[in-house]
Amino acid sequence: MKKTGALSILFVFICFFLYDFTISYAKIYIDIDSPSFRRFPAAVNYFKNIEGGDNQENISEEIHQVLTQDLEISGLFSLLEQPLLSESMGGVTLYKDGKINFIGLSIIGAEVFVEGNFRCNDDDLEIEARLYDVFQGKFVIGKKYIGKRRNLRKMIHRFSDDVLLHFTGERGVFDTKIAFISDESGHKEIYIMDFDGFNVERITDHRSIVLSPSWSPDGKKIVFTSYKNGNPDIYIKDLITNREERIAHYKGLNIAPDWSPDGEWLVVTLSKDGNPEIYRIEMNKKKLRRLTNNWGIDVSPTFSPDGEEVAFVSNRSGNPNIYVIHSSGNNVRRLTFNTKYSVSPDWSPRGDRIVFSSLERGCFNIYTMSSDGTDLKQLTSDSGDNEDPTWSPSGRLIVFTSTRDGRKSIYIMRADGTGQKKLKKFNGKQYGPSWSPRFR
Amino acid sequence: MLVKKVSFNLMVFALVVSFSLFLNACAKKVAVEEIEQKEEVIATEEVSDEAAEQKRLEEERAAREAQLKEEALRKEREREEAARREEEARREEAAKREAQLREEFEKENIHFDFDKFFLSDEAKETLSKKASWLLDNPDINITIEGHCDERGTNEYNMALGERRANSAMKYFVNAGVNAGRISLISYGEEKPLDPESNETAWAKNRRDQFRIISE
Repeated sequence: MKKTGALSILFVFICFFLYDFTISYAKIYIDIDSPSFRRFPAAVNYFKNIEGGDNQENISEEIHQVLTQDLEISGLFSLLEQPLLSESMGGVTLYKDGKINFIGLSIIGAEVFVEGNFRCNDDDLEIEARLYDVFQGKFVIGKKYIGKRRNLRKMIHRFSDDVLLHFTGERGVFDTKIAFISDESGHKEIYIMDFDGFNVERITDHRSIVLSPSWSPDGKKIVFTSYKNGNPDIYIKDLITNREERIAHYKGLNIAPDWSPDGEWLVVTLSKDGNPEIYRIEMNKKKLRRLTNNWGIDVSPTFSPDGEEVAFVSNRSGNPNIYVIHSSGNNVRRLTFNTKYSVSPDWSPRGDRIVFSSLERGCFNIYTMSSDGTDLKQLTSDSGDNEDPTWSPSGRLIVFTSTRDGRKSIYIMRADGTGQKKLKKFNGKQYGPSWSPRFR
Repeated sequence: MLVKKVSFNLMVFALVVSFSLFLNACAKKVAVEEIEQKEEVIATEEVSDEAAEQKRLEEERAAREAQLKEEALRKEREREEAARREEEARREEAAKREAQLREEFEKENIHFDFDKFFLSDEAKETLSKKASWLLDNPDINITIEGHCDERGTNEYNMALGERRANSAMKYFVNAGVNAGRISLISYGEEKPLDPESNETAWAKNRRDQFRIISE
């Protein structure tokens, strides 16, 4: 009897291991970017409080809100309407005899079920979250997260990341941040917030004009332009030590900095020789290397993820368009031909596409194209001016600005243009977003 | 007897004659005396009048002269005052004109088309005024600020703003203004005059501004 017990435990374990292995193996190949991909309908139940206590309702509510938002944004799931999951509102009975009612769930169309519980003592919070495959009636992934009450959002973001890693073989971007410019204080300063618009923090106090923040590949520094000393110069802010260093202050413009993927170089626009041109600055020796040499305006460089090429904006043909140059300074190619006014390119971390904004019929909209300039796709339309697009580190999301609600504000959307969502209500104007790398 | 009678008659006659003569003489003397007395009084009066008149006239003349002098002085003073005032007014006017020119120089912007940095005829007219003022005031150094409307990226607009500032600078240099007196800065779309998002605001914001930085 004992032996059978042990054997059956072993069997279950092996089965589970195999199952997990096969699932993981199979799921790694889920290509959620493929046009034929259909998002998994997911049912998310409110997490249960397993230790009583007062005023825990809002914890459950907050967990639910963060989790559903993350899963929705991920592009992997579509969420079932809440009434379908509420027996009292005529929905399915989620549990029968203490077990998950997978049959009931599959009848309402759920393919994935997420449940969990939490306990909260004073400042300490434990959250246990589990995800099931409804079709097979099996547990897929689960984890317990222990932390402080104030880290609730972070704990749920971790779970969402783990879920995405499990299904796609790549972590989500739920622990990332977005840097942007806001004139909320009366001056244009850099702010940082979580990717979902929470935990906003101002990081500069120049009381001048600050522009164009860009994260270092290790996420520890931000390079930007500031008029602090009267002229637009380039500065680097170390987010760990809080120290600032001015790294380019030539005569004329010192603007539009972007890091190379290895963090060794910056590409910038300088007009020290009388005309705005693209330069590389070596971080250690502060050595300069000029890449472009043209009478036109050359501005807004962005490295390809392999560091081999630089996309930029040039008006050498009369209007601003997107060009690519080898990072040695050779082989300039024009990418946009069918647009009159195309600016702010950002090269996808996956390398395959470039996102940019383009002025057509009086409005700016966001487009992506393949890195050779073909396969143009329009992502926004009929919603004010949409500008300043930047990829998330996964290449699955895009942060951008829009005037659809009046003042310029920050929005995110999936790479195919779906799920457009305003991040947060601020005072004043917000723009120039830059998405951080992953922090783990 | 006759003789006696004649002599008596003669005597009477003589007596009468001499009496009448006497009488006559007496009467005549009184009249003369009266006349003489009268004339004397008049003369005296005349003498005394003349002196007073002389004195009065003298005084009057002195007074008149003093008055005239005073008048002349006053007039002189007034003239001086007027001249001073005029000079002051002239100077004020000149200063005002100068300030106005200065103000005009700083206040009058030139404007550009969307995504363009070439100078319109209107812009050239404005710049020509500014250039001659700069040539008249060789000790003044200036900054030209290039600005854009909010459409397009901040980065592209900073480059475009620099081009716009450059266009004005080239005009001044061609007009003979020493390039060393001019500095440039681009603010891109960061300092709009009109924060609205419409064509009127955008047209206002696509501009060069001019600042006097030192003398």
